Amino acid sequence: MIELKNIGVQFSGRDILKDVSVMFHPGEIIGLVAPNGTGKSTLMNVIMNYINPNNGKVILNNTLEYTNKKNEVKIHQLVSMMPDQSDLYNQISGKEHLKIYSSMWSSNTKLIDYTIKELGMTSYINKPTGTYSLGMRQRLCFAMQIVSDTQVMLMDEVMNGLDPTHVELISQILVKKKSEGKTIIVASHLLENLEKYADRIFFMKNGELILINELSPGFEQREITTVRVIGMLNNIKENFTKVFPETNVKVLPNDITLIDVRGYDSRELGHIVEFLKENQLIEFSVGKVTLNDLYSMYYQEV
Amino acid sequence: MRAYFKIEFLQFMSNKKNIAIYVILLFFSCYYALKTAPEYDPIEKVDEYEIEARYLTREEFLNNVVINNWTHPLTVFAATIYPQWNEYDKKRLDAIRQHNMKEYAESTSKWYSYADEMTLKNGYLYYNPRYYTYENTYATWDGHYAYLYSASRYEGYTEGESDLSINVFEERTALQTLQRLLHSYLPLILIVSCMFFTVDVVLKDRRNTTLLQGLPLSDWRKLLVKGGVSLLGSLLAIIPLSVGLFIIGARNGLGDFELPVPIYLASEKLFSNITIGQYVMQNLLFIVFWFLFFISLILLVSIVIKNEFANLLVGSVFVIAEFMYYARGIGAIRDVHWYPTSYIQTGQIIAGYRNFLYSTDALTFGTGLFVIGLCVCVFLFIMFLISRRRKFRLF
Amino acid sequence: MSVWKILKTFFILEKSNKKNIFACIVVATFVFGLIFFVKTEDLGNSLKEKSGEYQSISVALNKFQNVDASDKGNGSDLYKNIVLQQQYISKQKMAVRMGLSEVYVETAIDVVDLRLKAFDMEGYDKVANNLPSKTEIQLESAFFQYIKKAGMPLSVDSLSFFPFLAYLFGMLGSIWFVFMSIYSCGIMIEDFRHTSLIKGYPITFDKYVIAKCISSMLLVGVFILELIVCSLPLIYFKELGNPLYPIAIFNGTFDVYPIYKYIGVAILYMISISIFTILLSIILNVLLKNMYLTLFMELLLFIFPLLFPSMMNFIPFNPFNYLNFSSVLNGQTLDLANPIALNSTYGLMYIWISIVVMIVAVKSFLTTGKLQKV
Repeated sequence: MIELKNIGVQFSGRDILKDVSVMFHPGEIIGLVAPNGTGKSTLMNVIMNYINPNNGKVILNNTLEYTNKKNEVKIHQLVSMMPDQSDLYNQISGKEHLKIYSSMWSSNTKLIDYTIKELGMTSYINKPTGTYSLGMRQRLCFAMQIVSDTQVMLMDEVMNGLDPTHVELISQILVKKKSEGKTIIVASHLLENLEKYADRIFFMKNGELILINELSPGFEQREITTVRVIGMLNNIKENFTKVFPETNVKVLPNDITLIDVRGYDSRELGHIVEFLKENQLIEFSVGKVTLNDLYSMYYQEV
Repeated sequence: MRAYFKIEFLQFMSNKKNIAIYVILLFFSCYYALKTAPEYDPIEKVDEYEIEARYLTREEFLNNVVINNWTHPLTVFAATIYPQWNEYDKKRLDAIRQHNMKEYAESTSKWYSYADEMTLKNGYLYYNPRYYTYENTYATWDGHYAYLYSASRYEGYTEGESDLSINVFEERTALQTLQRLLHSYLPLILIVSCMFFTVDVVLKDRRNTTLLQGLPLSDWRKLLVKGGVSLLGSLLAIIPLSVGLFIIGARNGLGDFELPVPIYLASEKLFSNITIGQYVMQNLLFIVFWFLFFISLILLVSIVIKNEFANLLVGSVFVIAEFMYYARGIGAIRDVHWYPTSYIQTGQIIAGYRNFLYSTDALTFGTGLFVIGLCVCVFLFIMFLISRRRKFRLF
Repeated sequence: MSVWKILKTFFILEKSNKKNIFACIVVATFVFGLIFFVKTEDLGNSLKEKSGEYQSISVALNKFQNVDASDKGNGSDLYKNIVLQQQYISKQKMAVRMGLSEVYVETAIDVVDLRLKAFDMEGYDKVANNLPSKTEIQLESAFFQYIKKAGMPLSVDSLSFFPFLAYLFGMLGSIWFVFMSIYSCGIMIEDFRHTSLIKGYPITFDKYVIAKCISSMLLVGVFILELIVCSLPLIYFKELGNPLYPIAIFNGTFDVYPIYKYIGVAILYMISISIFTILLSIILNVLLKNMYLTLFMELLLFIFPLLFPSMMNFIPFNPFNYLNFSSVLNGQTLDLANPIALNSTYGLMYIWISIVVMIVAVKSFLTTGKLQKV
């Protein structure tokens, strides 16, 4: 369990993090979603104590804080951050990288072979990493963190440069690690993917963390809440509000129109679908708001 | 290619290491000009009192000596050679007292020739005692060389048009200091600087390969540009070094490019003069060849071994290699003139001093340029072949 | 325990580091080059040395008027002294030719005594240039006194194993710091290129540094071993030599060490200098973030006492005064314009104090977490 308490970071007078307080629990995957340069990496660096926050503190398991070097070592034993793929040692093999991480965190050495197999890296793991492709390097970095087997894992842009198969593979591993009780904090731009496995997703804006449930109540409920329509023209929308004056309609910057249907029964839904069909609108879906929609709603204000 | 040269050159000039080298060279040149140069104490000085003392002693001897059948042969010998010798000393003494530099130069030149002729031939006379430092087995030869050198030098002053002064006679003016430095460690300092300039010129790009791999320029051309940049950078090292020269110039006079530099012709065992201007230009040409040698060598090592430490070591080996096999007179036994490293003291090669030390006549300016040029061509050719291989990656 | 973890990491990395292979090659080249050098220079050829000496003395004598040099003669004391020296050196030359080791040693002691007396005589400045310095004479005195007392034969072959080793370590004494500076100047820079891997290691920076020192010091051990191994062929081609043969040194007083002790002191110094250099490189790397700047800085610090010798008197505890330990053991600083007696034991002490200071500095000021990428 890791707690951030009133964290504030300023760079040259600008607030990067503003009084952030949040608690991350074991067995939880946290998603961080925000455009570049809004402070995701800063937040992770604060958790690792690579950056000293101007105020506030990080508390691990209710007791540990970054008060001295000894504690820093103790926290680093429990919290790890995924290495940068450009920082790999080009002249030594992937396996040796894994050995280094395993021995540094004194983790179970069986994890090495297990992880290699699980991530399908057997064919190249003994070659020097200088010869790896971007995706191979990215998988190696992920594997290194898995091998370190820490209680809290911070992953910045974990899916960078991976093909869909491997995105899926890594997602599965994340879910498995979650079930082992790890706290995993993931920053990612693959929103659909993140939506699938993250327990809580935060947006970041103006130095603040915003839980998306607060933006869109019911986001996490498993029921029909929204009809998403693609490419609805303005005159049709006006028409629609005339026909259904009671219904909330919202147009997003990404050309998607959301029709709020919370609490509607199937007859009422039927009317709406009929209206759309009559107006030659065929690309629509009935379900709930996606993370993409929320992102668009929140960050791409017109 | 020109744009790439510009990028490389900007990187070169903003490289912390290279700036540090320029700063260190500036420091050394100032240190030399302010501390070492004023302490320069030549053996062949203009010393009125020394001349006077010698002159008077001998004059007294000549006035009192009685030559007859029972006189010791050495006394007879002295009585025969001193009159001429003393005549020269007298002329020198008068000239220096009247500040007649031309006259002093002329009689001094003759004095040195005569003194050398007398001293070399018999074991009872010695050159200036300062050559006979403790454990110097070659003192006689050093003295011989220095006397002939001085004779030729003063002859040059007599014949030349330059302004003469005590500072000129003692080789203290800025240009003469430069000449003396070229004769000693300056070429080595320049070459070592060049080595440090070149050592990371290829391998620095390993940190941002993707940025540079795609440039529309073949690896071979990139290497040439890099070599060109470090050649230019090495030549720029002359700027901080010249600061010291100007300091010396302000104190002791700048000197004159027409002043003579004696060159030892080993085949004829005698000296002839060239001007400092010529001497400096020849040295410059020679040092540029050395720069090319080290740049091509280090570029080659860079692409073969790809390790900066190795660059530094291979470079250093070539800088110090001569110390390993150098011994007085060894040129008579071994063909040292085919080793490029024998030419690293460019000033001494041009002045013929290396020939004198090695007892050979093969170490000439021309052979040097040929041997080093040949090495450069070989290095470049190997580099060309390697860079043309399909699997080759520059970084 | 945690040092062991990080050590394992360094082993993996050092194994693949080409730099170490090159350093080994260089060390071997140095040894073989030196053997070659000793051979061409014909070091230890007493006859050649003595004839050079004879010539210098003749020149010194030439500065005096030729007069009666007997005790009752009217020449100056110094003149008589030098005439006697000349006679003794002729005798030595003879002794060398005839292989009369004992005569040679006896005469050598006489010469040394004469020379020691000559120093206080009037007009010595005039001939100082042609004679050895006072320090050299005192070293010689200690050497020959010992040889005589022990009744040891003079060793003539400087290419026998033990004498060569002594010569080798003596040479290394002057340049070991330079070699170590070049070797270690990039010690942390490599790591700075991999910060995201290293920053999060659950280990404090001082332990990291200690492990770094240990792994580098193991390699230094390999180098020292290599020096000895590369000299081993001399046993086969020449001979073993006598490990008890004396070497004159200055250590506050003029004394002799047997070769084995000399080598022991040299190795002790080399190890201390290595640790010193590695720590210095680490700190300068962190501060300057550039391996060449580190190297230049170290070399400047090294030659600083040479450029400004008067500073040595001013700050005798500066460890950089002692990094050229051969010159310290030779008492070379006694011959300076402002003579200073650098004591090699104190030198070791100052170096170790500096090492402790640097470790404390690393422990209290530096952390891995704040390492910046270069």
